[in-house]
Amino acid sequence: MSNPLVVPRTSLFKKYFRALFAAAVVPLLIAGGSDAWFGYHDQRARLNDLLNAEARFAAVNIQDFIEGIRDQLGWTVQLPWSEDGGDRRRLDALRLLRQVPSVENLTLVDATGKERLFVSRIGLNRIEGGDDLSAKPAVTGARSDRIWYGPVTFHGGSEPFMAIAIAGNRTADGVAIAEVNLKFIWEVISGIRVGRTGDAFVLDRPGRLVAHPDISLVLRADEAAQRPLQALRAAILARPGQAAVGQDVMGKSVLGAMVQIPGVDWSVIVKQPLAEAFAPIYAALWRTAALLVGGAALAAVLAYWLTQRMIGPIRLLEDGVARIGAGQFDHRISLTTRDEFERLATRFNEMAAELAVSQERSERINRLKRFLAPQVAELVDRTGDDRVLDGRRVEVVVIFCDMRGFTAFSARVEPETVMGVLREYYDALEKVVGAHEATLINFSGDGAMVLVNAPVACSDPALQAVTMAIDMQISVQKLLAGWRAPDHQLGFGVGLAMGPATVGQIGSEGRLHYSAIGNVVNLASRLCSSAQDSEILIDRVAAHAVGSRVPLVELDARTLKGFDQPVPVFSAVIEKAVTDSTA
Amino acid sequence: MRRRDFIALVGSAVAWTVPARAQSMPVIGYLGSENPERYSSRLRAFREGLAEVGYIEGRNVEIEFRWAEGQYNRLPAIAKDLASRPLNVIVAAGGAEVALAAKSATATIPIVFEMGGDPIALGVVDSLSRPGGNLTGVSSLSVEVSRKRLEFMHEMRPGTKVFAVAVNPTSPTSSSQLKNLHTAATSLGLELVVLKTSTEQEFDGMFTAVHDMRAGGLVFSSDPYFAYRSQQLAALAVRHAVPAMTQSRDFPLAGGLMSYGGDFNQSHRHTGMYAGRILKGEKPSDLPVQRVTKVELFINLKAASALGISFPSSILSSADGVIE
Repeated sequence: MSNPLVVPRTSLFKKYFRALFAAAVVPLLIAGGSDAWFGYHDQRARLNDLLNAEARFAAVNIQDFIEGIRDQLGWTVQLPWSEDGGDRRRLDALRLLRQVPSVENLTLVDATGKERLFVSRIGLNRIEGGDDLSAKPAVTGARSDRIWYGPVTFHGGSEPFMAIAIAGNRTADGVAIAEVNLKFIWEVISGIRVGRTGDAFVLDRPGRLVAHPDISLVLRADEAAQRPLQALRAAILARPGQAAVGQDVMGKSVLGAMVQIPGVDWSVIVKQPLAEAFAPIYAALWRTAALLVGGAALAAVLAYWLTQRMIGPIRLLEDGVARIGAGQFDHRISLTTRDEFERLATRFNEMAAELAVSQERSERINRLKRFLAPQVAELVDRTGDDRVLDGRRVEVVVIFCDMRGFTAFSARVEPETVMGVLREYYDALEKVVGAHEATLINFSGDGAMVLVNAPVACSDPALQAVTMAIDMQISVQKLLAGWRAPDHQLGFGVGLAMGPATVGQIGSEGRLHYSAIGNVVNLASRLCSSAQDSEILIDRVAAHAVGSRVPLVELDARTLKGFDQPVPVFSAVIEKAVTDSTA
Repeated sequence: MRRRDFIALVGSAVAWTVPARAQSMPVIGYLGSENPERYSSRLRAFREGLAEVGYIEGRNVEIEFRWAEGQYNRLPAIAKDLASRPLNVIVAAGGAEVALAAKSATATIPIVFEMGGDPIALGVVDSLSRPGGNLTGVSSLSVEVSRKRLEFMHEMRPGTKVFAVAVNPTSPTSSSQLKNLHTAATSLGLELVVLKTSTEQEFDGMFTAVHDMRAGGLVFSSDPYFAYRSQQLAALAVRHAVPAMTQSRDFPLAGGLMSYGGDFNQSHRHTGMYAGRILKGEKPSDLPVQRVTKVELFINLKAASALGISFPSSILSSADGVIE
């Protein structure tokens, strides 16, 4: 019993829960997912722009550093060499060393390529050294391109230096060669910050580290350790203008962008740890995830609540319908959800009430049918008013009938025969009573009592009663003809009287009878007893009421038991043909 | 049962925190050749460097000092004693003597040195870029620029051919500096009188000798012993009216004529930074030896006028610091 109920309930719950949950979570997922996707691409583009801008900025700073030295050097090659200009140039050179701390020493070469002046911070100064430097790459380079940048060299295998040579506008101005300590770029490079922890570094053309915020990395001059940085540069070069992912010397993933510095052919690369660069995306993803989890939890709670709200009333309705179905018509489904469920419950309750009414009605009809003619019972039922059965005093016609010689007959024949005869006899009587819309009050043995004009009133009770009695005689006489045998005589008599009587339901709660009480009942009974076979005895009231519509014969007044005076008696004349044919 | 568990938990937590806290405070062993007063300006720079990498004495680092009070022969014993302590790093600052003493004292505790001269030639490290072993540090350029001091002094006194040079024979760099100075003197066409001194008692006689021989001036070789006694030397130079030049700016600041040498502020700051980086877990062998980038010329105009001489424009235009 419980299983077929539980299974569909669970599945409905699941169905609704899933649908409601999905309705809330799926849009959330789509929104969150697309948000993350677009966010990632936006951030990637933004990072690209930002890193490229930072790289340009860093490159400009490094370039400024180099150009600063170049511009200062330019002063020293503005005038042609003459014999007496030496001291002035020496002062200029010393001033340059003072102005540009990164220049470790400075060599001035004249138009012929001879070293005229050498000033140094560490070594001894030389005036008119006279060495022929004309074949040196610095001198030839500067003469052909005006400016010449030497390769980066690592003094003592550690400290990065670079020579910068600049030629004057005219050949006579000579060439100035400066040895530059590149450790000074540290101040520039360590001033560059990308984001919170991002920084910049510089690689020369062969990929050696020239500048890095951690100067010890430069001084270590370790090619193997610098390989990741070269790989990062290669990755950026593979997609120009785009930030690329690579690793720093610590093996940490970084996003880098690069700008080349022309002339020195250095690569200035800015990098930012991936984790930091993408931190906003990760934060957004976490936010989205948190929202999703929160939304899912809320959706689950809501879905559960809504489903419960739906399932609860459905269970109540289901239970209620089951009870009503089982015949508990007094059961009421109480729902106050103020929605369709409540209306449905109300409908069910109304249905139960109507079912109760109709059941009561059908029960009553069944009860009535036991002692009312089916038509009468139907009538009572149709009017829906059984007050017709209430006790009252009314003018009725009472008809009694019974068989003659039945007691003797029943004593002689088999019980089966007796029961068979009685069944046919009653069937015939019931048919006639039913046809005339009279009320069969009861059977007792071979006798029966019939009432006309109660409980259902009719326009002409006397005539109806008399015609019914005639029909009864005809029907029963037909049956009797079949049963008459030489050794036993069966007959049928009817008595009929009209007058006021008290009618209504008599009896106990368990057993009710509709009956009539009054003198007229006794009279009808006595007339029936007095009647011969085939005879219908009628009292004077009924006979007068019928008048001449039915042929009646007045008989001699008879003395009846219970009556002081002889009672006038009439007899209905039954058509000879009918009697003959039945004989 | 539950209460006992709780007490046990608290007990273990306390037991866990106490040694952890003691351990969280790293200890630097600081080996100095003089005393805190003479080292004060260098110690300030060293602490700056430490602070730059996030260490402040007493707050998250402890420093255990050992001083030789100018007696270099005591350095090895002091270094040994220091190395026997549970230290995270030894700082051997203020000269090659200190660095060498620390090196011989331990081969396991990381050492950060600060010295003048060539660390490879002095046998402190094998290579500048890859020091190897447990040593790294900072080298100033003071030793290399000894000859420049002679050049400056000659420029100051162009008419004079004889100059005196003060050398501390106990210094590991003295012989290389002397060689350098002689080469420079030859190329400048000068005559050198070498005055050897290794005690304060000899200082006065040294200045008297310079005065007596009418030398153009006294050039001090680079030596911490002289550098830490700049005030004393400046007073003597003033008293004896001797134009003199040392490596340390402390000398002109105290009234001496001029100085030329590596910026000890920079070198000691870098030493502090390296010590901090090693405390943070970096290996000394991964930290290349750094050379200071700055060599500074300080001159004292008052001292010059007191001596009756004046700075030529070449020196004036080159000076990083002018004391008036």
